[in-house]
Amino acid sequence: MSTETDRNVVQRAAKRGIENPELVYRGVKYAALGFFVLMSLFPLYWLLVLALTPNTEISNIFLLPNGFNPGAFVTIFTRRPFHLYVLNSIIIASLTTVIILVLGSLAGYVFGRYDFRGRTALMLVVLVISYFPPVAFLIPLFQLFTGNASLFGLPFPEIYNTPWGIVMPLSALLMPLVIFILSTFYSQIPDGLEDAARIEGSTRLGALYRVIVPLSAPGVATAGILSFIIVYNEFFFSYLMVSGDVNNWAPVLHGIFQFQGSQMVFYNWMAAASLVGIIPMAILVIAGQEKIVSGLTQGALKE
Amino acid sequence: MSQTHSRAGSIRSWLRQPGLYVANRIERLSDTQFVYLMLLPVFALLGAMAFWPLIRTFVLSLHADNLLGSGVGQFVGLENYIRIFTGEAILRRPLLNLDQLFISAIPVTLIFTVVAVVIETILGFGMALILNDEFRGRRWARLALLLPWAVPIVIQGMIFYLMFTPSVGFITEPLHSLGLISSSPLSNSQDALFITIAADIWKQSAFMALLILAGLQSIDRNLYDVAKISGASKLQQFRTITFPLVLPALIVALLFRSIAALKVYGTIETISNCNTVPSVSCLVVSMWNVNRVASAAAIAFVVAAMIGVLLLVYFAAFRKQSAAGGL
Repeated sequence: MSTETDRNVVQRAAKRGIENPELVYRGVKYAALGFFVLMSLFPLYWLLVLALTPNTEISNIFLLPNGFNPGAFVTIFTRRPFHLYVLNSIIIASLTTVIILVLGSLAGYVFGRYDFRGRTALMLVVLVISYFPPVAFLIPLFQLFTGNASLFGLPFPEIYNTPWGIVMPLSALLMPLVIFILSTFYSQIPDGLEDAARIEGSTRLGALYRVIVPLSAPGVATAGILSFIIVYNEFFFSYLMVSGDVNNWAPVLHGIFQFQGSQMVFYNWMAAASLVGIIPMAILVIAGQEKIVSGLTQGALKE
Repeated sequence: MSQTHSRAGSIRSWLRQPGLYVANRIERLSDTQFVYLMLLPVFALLGAMAFWPLIRTFVLSLHADNLLGSGVGQFVGLENYIRIFTGEAILRRPLLNLDQLFISAIPVTLIFTVVAVVIETILGFGMALILNDEFRGRRWARLALLLPWAVPIVIQGMIFYLMFTPSVGFITEPLHSLGLISSSPLSNSQDALFITIAADIWKQSAFMALLILAGLQSIDRNLYDVAKISGASKLQQFRTITFPLVLPALIVALLFRSIAALKVYGTIETISNCNTVPSVSCLVVSMWNVNRVASAAAIAFVVAAMIGVLLLVYFAAFRKQSAAGGL
């Protein structure tokens, strides 16, 4: 032990490492963890630094703001109605989530709990949708929503520039994921509980909404949170199915873009709006972390 | 008199409880009828919003472009597809021109997909290995890593747009003086592609990590105890237990990310634009914007075909792997 005192720090650390590889392993692990956390959070911190810098002072922003001007966080609401874009997004995401949960529950119930002819084939038909790129749906849907096409000869309302122009396609394209999650949860409820409800005089639909859905509440919450996040974050239809005017149901995406288009570009406003736009998602992730993790993993296991 | 009275009464009770009436009707259906009735709303939605557009996109792709009016011209069969692949069709950006790798759509899409997914897998595997261990603050660490995944695409793009806008961000100048990127990287095709890849890696690595983590957590802990008793090092444990057992989850994660990456559009549109970084999806929208509907529809099916090829490769490889597992 006494010889160790006259060695330098590096040599001592190396010796300890050789004697105890567990220590090295832990050191590497925490270093890597630090790197990953920094990688994830630094861009968001940098956005805050940029938002706090007055626009005229912006140049090569790195770790600290050039001056201090929290006013950008107020201006984006007073000079531009950024909150209305966020509200539009929240309404669009909520509508989609409700539609998906109601329709997806009916389908998930029969896929999860009934054995019928064509079950596997129909499930595959649903799943195959998720492999097609959004561009393969775009042109006909745009024509349909702007009144330039008809669906099997039936009239279809012009829903371009309404929330439905985004809600309808996204409800369909998210359906495979939601049906998969819900049918997995619904199939795990023991038959006895449903039978007991049926003997008590409950109908099949009554059993679904009074027994199956409440008992699968974690699954329904998972599907709901995931749908909401995916719709709020979506780009393709949210960008192309509305003109971009806030009064025509333009979502957050257009709210961010409008700061780019003006003659004088306010980089601090863009940064402030971006941070505000993340807030609803940050709340959901903090509150529903476990649900999101289990939902994503389950959605992937359908392969 | 009494008959009309009772009929009126039954109508009134029917009006009072239409829900009950419908519920009773549904209850009298056989199981098979019930199943199809329950599937009807979903399939009506999917029919109108997914199957009909797919079929119509395909039909549109079999016609000629109609530049003057709306819609498409006469029926030309598979000519659009042939002209696209022989390079005869004049597109906004070439689909496959190896002399101009960074402005031709298929190479751009493939470079984006391969580079992004490989790096996301490596980083995701690292994150998953760390999160699989018990340590204080693990929940918070997972939260921090998961946050970028929940950031909207437009904001993800905006962050990287701002960071690489010369004079706003701190990155362009040092990288430019090292000779790694040009002085205005966002309008340079090659630089903008790699910035888009960096943005994708930032957002999607955590998704990869979660799927791999699920695989790690299904590994039987006793295996590690056995390995420890027989004196296996951490590295040996990884090679003989962790890696082979997590491989199925890893492959699924790879497939998922690759499919999504082949569809890339929004990140490009936010960070740069579809002319600078023309992914195949980008090219579809560009062609559609100049009213070449039929060509756009044909290229949309090129994206679908690329995903189809990926799936075929995956299923071929997966069958081999499960056969090897059976031995």
